[in-house]
Amino acid sequence: MSVPESSEESLRRLWDAVVASIGDGSGGTEALALIGRACTRLLPIDGASISLVGGARAREALYAGDEVSDRIQRLQVSLGEGPSYEAYRTRRPVLVPDLAADPGARWPVFATEVAACPVGAVFAFPLQRGAIAIGALDLYRRDPGWLSSEEVTVALRVVDIATLALPALRMDSLDGEWVVGLPPERAQVHQATGMLISGLGVSAEQALARLRAHAFSVGRMVDEIADDLVSGRIVPTDIEL
Amino acid sequence: MNGSPPSGTRREADLVGAFVQLADTLVDDYDVPEVLHQLATHCVNLLGVSAAGLLLSDQRGSLQVVASSNERTRLLELFQLQADEGPCVDSFRTGETVAVADLSTARGRWPVFTPQAVEQGFRAVHAVPLRLRGDLIGTLNLFNQHPGALSSDDVKVARALADIATIGILQERMIRHGEVLTEQLQGALNSRITIEQAKGLLAHAGGLDMEQAFQALRRFARARHTGLSDIAHRLASGELPPASVLRPGRGEAT
Repeated sequence: MSVPESSEESLRRLWDAVVASIGDGSGGTEALALIGRACTRLLPIDGASISLVGGARAREALYAGDEVSDRIQRLQVSLGEGPSYEAYRTRRPVLVPDLAADPGARWPVFATEVAACPVGAVFAFPLQRGAIAIGALDLYRRDPGWLSSEEVTVALRVVDIATLALPALRMDSLDGEWVVGLPPERAQVHQATGMLISGLGVSAEQALARLRAHAFSVGRMVDEIADDLVSGRIVPTDIEL
Repeated sequence: MNGSPPSGTRREADLVGAFVQLADTLVDDYDVPEVLHQLATHCVNLLGVSAAGLLLSDQRGSLQVVASSNERTRLLELFQLQADEGPCVDSFRTGETVAVADLSTARGRWPVFTPQAVEQGFRAVHAVPLRLRGDLIGTLNLFNQHPGALSSDDVKVARALADIATIGILQERMIRHGEVLTEQLQGALNSRITIEQAKGLLAHAGGLDMEQAFQALRRFARARHTGLSDIAHRLASGELPPASVLRPGRGEAT
C-alpha cells in the first residue's frame, strides 16, 4: 500500500509548492489551486473542488477546478446537503463510486439535481484533525468506479497536505512560516493540542497552529514541544506568543 | 491486571459474558473506539495478559493505535512504535499471527522495540492480524509480564476477538467495496485523534494523567449513554466545558 516512487516525488513537490504559496499574497487561491490540480494529475478523476469552513478568510478560499466541480459545490452550498456536508457532519469520508446506484436517501434533492450533470462518482474527504474541522476536498469522475488501494493512498496523502497547510490561510494572527514540515502523527501532539485548548482558552485549530508556530520559532520539532507539555516540563503559557 | 486466565466453568461464563456484551454493543449507532476499548479490556481479562491494544491501517502504509486496555502514555508509545518495527508490523505485513514467548530472545529481531518492551516489564508478546477476506486492516497486540506462549485455546479466543474487532470497525454495512473500508478506517482514526485531544484537555483542566483523563471521559460518556467519540468531540470543539466532565452533576446542561 506504499506510494510508488513517482507519486511520492509528486507529493513532496506538491507540499513544497503549497508551503511556498502560503502568504504569497494570493489569499490562498494559489495553494488551493495547486492541491486541486494535483488531484486531477495524480488520480483517475475529472475534477476537484475545495471548500473551507468557518475561518476568518473562508469565503474567499474556495476552489473549483472545472464547471462540473463548481456546479457540485454550488448545489451543495445552496441546498445545504450532499456528500461534502455528510462528510463534514459524520467526520469521515463519504465515497460514492456509483452515484446513479446510490439510493440518495442521505441527500434527496442533491441526488435529483446532480443527475443532470455528467457525474458518475463523487468522493468527499473531510479536511480534519480530530475536532479540528478545516473543510472538505471533493473529487468527481464522469464514469462510475472506485479507486485502487494505491490511489486511495495518494488521495489520503493529498488530504493530509491540505489539512496541514490550509489552516495557515485562516490564522490571521499568525504568519504562515510555521508550515514547514509534515509533522509525524504522534498521540502527544494531539494531547498537547488539547492541553493548549484548556490552558490558553483557544480553539483546537488555534491550539495546534500555536504549537507548530512555537516549535518553528524555537527551532525544534513539534513532537518534542508536545512531549515537553505532556510530561509537564513546560506549561501551556510558555507557548503563548 | 496480570494473572492466569480464568479456568473451567468460570472461564466459559466469562467468555459468554464478554461475547454477549460485545454483541449487545454492536447494534444501532455504536461508537467504534468505545467498542474497541471494551474489546481490549476483554482481551486482558479473558486471556490473562497484561495489556492489549488495537492498531489499524491508516491506508498510507502505516499502522495507528486506536484502542488500548490502558491509556498510559508510555504503553501507547510502545504500541505506536510498532508502526515501524515489531510484532504488529510483521503480522500486518505477513498476515500471520506473530508469537514471541520470551522477548529476551527477540533483541536481534526488533532492536528498537524489544528493549523498550522489556524495560516496561513485558516478557511475551503476540500480534494477531485483523482480516477482512483478502485485506489486512490492522492487528490486535497482546503483551504479557510473564514469559510464555498463549495456549491453543487462548489463541482461538484471541482470533475470535480479532474477528469481532473487524466486524466492529466495519459495522453493519455491506462490505462489498473498498470505499466502505476507507470510510470506516478513516472515521475511526479521526475519532482516535479527537479522543487524544480530549484527554489532553481534561488532563490539563483537571490535573490528571492521561489514563485518568481517559477514564473520566469514559465514565461521563457511559453515564449519558453517549459515544466516547461524541463526548470527546464536544469537549475538544468547545461545546462542552471540561468542568462538566470533571465534576459531573454540577449545573451541566447536556
